[in-house]
Amino acid sequence: MFIVDCDCHNYWCSATVLEPYLDGLWKDMFVRGERTGPVGAFPHGHRPWFHPEGFGRADVQPQTEDDNYLIMKEKHLDKYNIGIAILTGDEPIESSTLANPHYAAALCRAYNDYQIDYWLPKDERFMGSIVVAPQDPHQAAAEIRRLGAHPRMVQVLVSHGAQRPYGDPFYHPIFEACAEVGLPFAMHLGGQGGVNATPIGAGPTTFFWETHALLPQSAMTHMASLIAQGVFEKWPDLYCVIIECGVAWVPSVLWRLDSNYRALRKETPWLKMLPSEYFRRNIRFSTQPLEQPKNVQHLWAVLEAMDGENTLMFASDYPHWDYDDANALHIPAKWREKVMGLNALEVYKRIPRPLAVAAE
Amino acid sequence: MAELHFACDVSEVTPDAAKIVRVKNLSVGIFKLSDGFHALLNICPHRGAALCEGPICGTTRATDDREFHYDRAGELVRCAWHGWEFEIRTGEFLVEPNIKARTLPVTVEDDKVFVRL
Repeated sequence: MFIVDCDCHNYWCSATVLEPYLDGLWKDMFVRGERTGPVGAFPHGHRPWFHPEGFGRADVQPQTEDDNYLIMKEKHLDKYNIGIAILTGDEPIESSTLANPHYAAALCRAYNDYQIDYWLPKDERFMGSIVVAPQDPHQAAAEIRRLGAHPRMVQVLVSHGAQRPYGDPFYHPIFEACAEVGLPFAMHLGGQGGVNATPIGAGPTTFFWETHALLPQSAMTHMASLIAQGVFEKWPDLYCVIIECGVAWVPSVLWRLDSNYRALRKETPWLKMLPSEYFRRNIRFSTQPLEQPKNVQHLWAVLEAMDGENTLMFASDYPHWDYDDANALHIPAKWREKVMGLNALEVYKRIPRPLAVAAE
Repeated sequence: MAELHFACDVSEVTPDAAKIVRVKNLSVGIFKLSDGFHALLNICPHRGAALCEGPICGTTRATDDREFHYDRAGELVRCAWHGWEFEIRTGEFLVEPNIKARTLPVTVEDDKVFVRL
């Protein structure tokens, strides 16, 4: 079976790997400036919750930069016969937390260049993400246009932590650039800190596990905003991929959106369809971490309600602590080929088709 | 067999609100639009609420830009409960026109409004 992993984290041991890709003021700031942690830490505004054990799987312990790939190859890509792994970086999306959008944009450019130089040549199974800092949508759009023609860059990536809901016209330059270069817009769980002050409604929760379970809250806001603000009317071919934000909540929010829209359509006269119809056409969700109820039928009823056979895409989240095993994903058996790989081919048009055919 | 039933006098209906009458034990809303009188069964196809007791209004026109063009003033009724907007003349729900409120044919004779039911 052809497997596309839509969330594969390419780690570094030290963010100093970015030094060769920075210059001038940004290099000075990166080398000598204050940062969140010791030398080797990536500059970002940290969230107020600390993972009690750190994010990584305990059996993934790279000692050198090259280990990051070698361990991934052994324990993930080869072991599960992953056909395509879409690299989502790790810390770079945290650039969204910085107040200085110029520094944030410079860090993203550096990461993207490093990704193209260091990671993509290592394995033909790798596809890349153009990471951008959304706090300055015009700089983000420029970065999308700078790299948008790269044949192995398959999406634009931001954190789901943001200063305002992503459908806001403030961000539309990003979608315009995505549409222009023909890439999906993806948001990955993260960026809860710094200038992104509202990751949790009602104020900050206390414990890490408690918080992590609630982080999909802001993905709900983004999904509703993208639909209500008419992003998918302006760019009807744009795909939005929501990564690592849970899925079982999706139908309940869609039901509520449809219900409210039916009563108050007049607030958004630019919409031509029900919110759930825009979802079905333009939004995709990655599976990990797929909710684990005692009775799997409860989950499957919900996934059915969001047409999960066609709207879900497999993700492992390698090498994080809540990793999902490609061989044991608890979805209906008849959905497997689509969810594990074929749905991703619809969204990520640059994934070479021959690879998928060869895997069949 | 549909028959004509007296609903109300013409003078009892204003453009601002439906006149609610009982016809054959059913609640019916009589509306006065620019082209004459119209009638809807006072039951919303959504949840059975008192459709015709909601405000008569217009709404924003479908658009490809982000401007708000208010039109059809006086041609729509918003259900009294959940606010679904219906075209008074056709009974069509604006969001999903396949959902329709029940329209009743109206005739006027000697300043009296009759509905066919």
